[in-house]
Amino acid sequence: MQTLKRNILAVPIVVWIGLLVGVPLLFVFVLSFLSRDSLGNIVVQFTLENYQRVFDPIYLRVFLNSLLLALLTGILTLVVGYPVAYITSNLEPKKRALSIGLIMLPFWISSLLRTYGWMILLGNAGIINNVLRALGVIDAPLSMMYKFSTTLIGTAYMLVPFMIVAIFNSVDKLDRSLLEASYDLGANKRQTFFNITLPLTIPGIAGGFTLVFIPALGLFYVSDLLGGGNTIFLGNLINTQVTRGRNRPLAAAFSMAMIVVAILVISLYGRVAKDDREGLFQ
Amino acid sequence: MKLKTSKFGAFYLSLFFVVLYLPVLSVILYSFNASPSTAQWTGFTLDWYRELFRDRVIVESFKVSIEVALLTALLSAIMGTASAVISMWVTDGMKKAIQGMMVLPLLVPEIALGIALLIFFNSINLPFGHLTLVLSHSLFCVPYVYIMVQLRLKEIDRSILESARDLGATTWQVIETVILPLVTPSIITASLLALAMSLDDVIISTYMSGAKTTTLPVHIFSMMRVGVTPKVNALCTLILVGTFFIVGLSQLTKKQNKEAV
Repeated sequence: MQTLKRNILAVPIVVWIGLLVGVPLLFVFVLSFLSRDSLGNIVVQFTLENYQRVFDPIYLRVFLNSLLLALLTGILTLVVGYPVAYITSNLEPKKRALSIGLIMLPFWISSLLRTYGWMILLGNAGIINNVLRALGVIDAPLSMMYKFSTTLIGTAYMLVPFMIVAIFNSVDKLDRSLLEASYDLGANKRQTFFNITLPLTIPGIAGGFTLVFIPALGLFYVSDLLGGGNTIFLGNLINTQVTRGRNRPLAAAFSMAMIVVAILVISLYGRVAKDDREGLFQ
Repeated sequence: MKLKTSKFGAFYLSLFFVVLYLPVLSVILYSFNASPSTAQWTGFTLDWYRELFRDRVIVESFKVSIEVALLTALLSAIMGTASAVISMWVTDGMKKAIQGMMVLPLLVPEIALGIALLIFFNSINLPFGHLTLVLSHSLFCVPYVYIMVQLRLKEIDRSILESARDLGATTWQVIETVILPLVTPSIITASLLALAMSLDDVIISTYMSGAKTTTLPVHIFSMMRVGVTPKVNALCTLILVGTFFIVGLSQLTKKQNKEAV
């Protein structure tokens, strides 16, 4: 009775979020097994066709494109972001605060604006081409837009702050006396980094990877604006099927596939960072 | 022990920040370009800003965005704070359930959540518009308020709460006179973050907008798909100024709180 009294107030909160997240996800799950008629209306008839189509070579290609994009985004943000986090944590207090501020500020800047900035920089009449032409480096504009690599740059640019923050938290928690001990025992900087710092910051890396990988699967506006639809990704496919293709059951099946990938990545994270569970959203 | 930052380190960091802010600065710079193309700089102008205020669709969608963001921030502040405060009293099992519920919306890929909500609201015949926008935005905003308030609650000295109880305060009095004043700065910061996140959302809003209630980012996205125009630059710059104003406010409340302590 006492327990019930303590918990009763929490029930509405759990029910409220459960109703808005759990039930809709259940709807998607059910819908992914339903059919549709020629007009795009949903017909209540069980089918596995939507899932079969996920493995259709054309759609499988889309799926692999997205996995590759998310994976490369993870690697790129890690390679670029790790030094940023590491250097920042070693700065003197004032510079350190400034650096942290500059890393966090993009979270407040519209993601559309940040994507659009790359359109202005990389376009055929864009700033980079203008500068290179004015300097006489090139005669004809370089074609930098609408490629897989353009989408990769845009996605990594969008998500790199998440990676840095995750790694920074990990690097910052590092027990400095361990590094000192390593130096005292005669290890050089390189050895200390690879034998002490890197292994101890694995939970941060795993956390950053998770926070980058999952959104990278579905940032359809980045691939739409910078990739120009030349490479089709999961996000674009789902978006098109819902808004124009009117094939919601298929979109539901792809969403389920995306959620499964997300769950796999999260459970992988859970294994790598056993004792650092809270770290993901702190 | 302090590791000295090498020259290379400082150089790398500076280079990183240049790349991080170059796209943003380019957008701002070209919003003042007289030529409609980025191919050349033909002089300074404010014409693109003037044009914005004449565009009725932009003004309308801006209004929708602001209304939705304010309501989202309010709802998130209430729900997030309530969840964090209630968590102090519930059993461990229930606490885990709340935590799980809070992390769930952040772990599901946003587009999948958007589709799920679209299908759900569609089947219960909820009309798309302000209500669906606020409900869906609050899903990814409430967790942030919850997390930020909870972090603050952890810092509170438990003995203060106990002495309040010893002096005869009821649970509600403890919340009202001790806990809430202590967490107010966190609530304000978190609500401002919620405001900014709601104003910025593209993915979920794409599916939650009604025929006459398009949010600004959804409209901007459709403008960007057509190509680069200085009008978009001007619009983005104004939004940036607006958001930085909000950030400034949140920093100010933080500072004031520190001084008060």
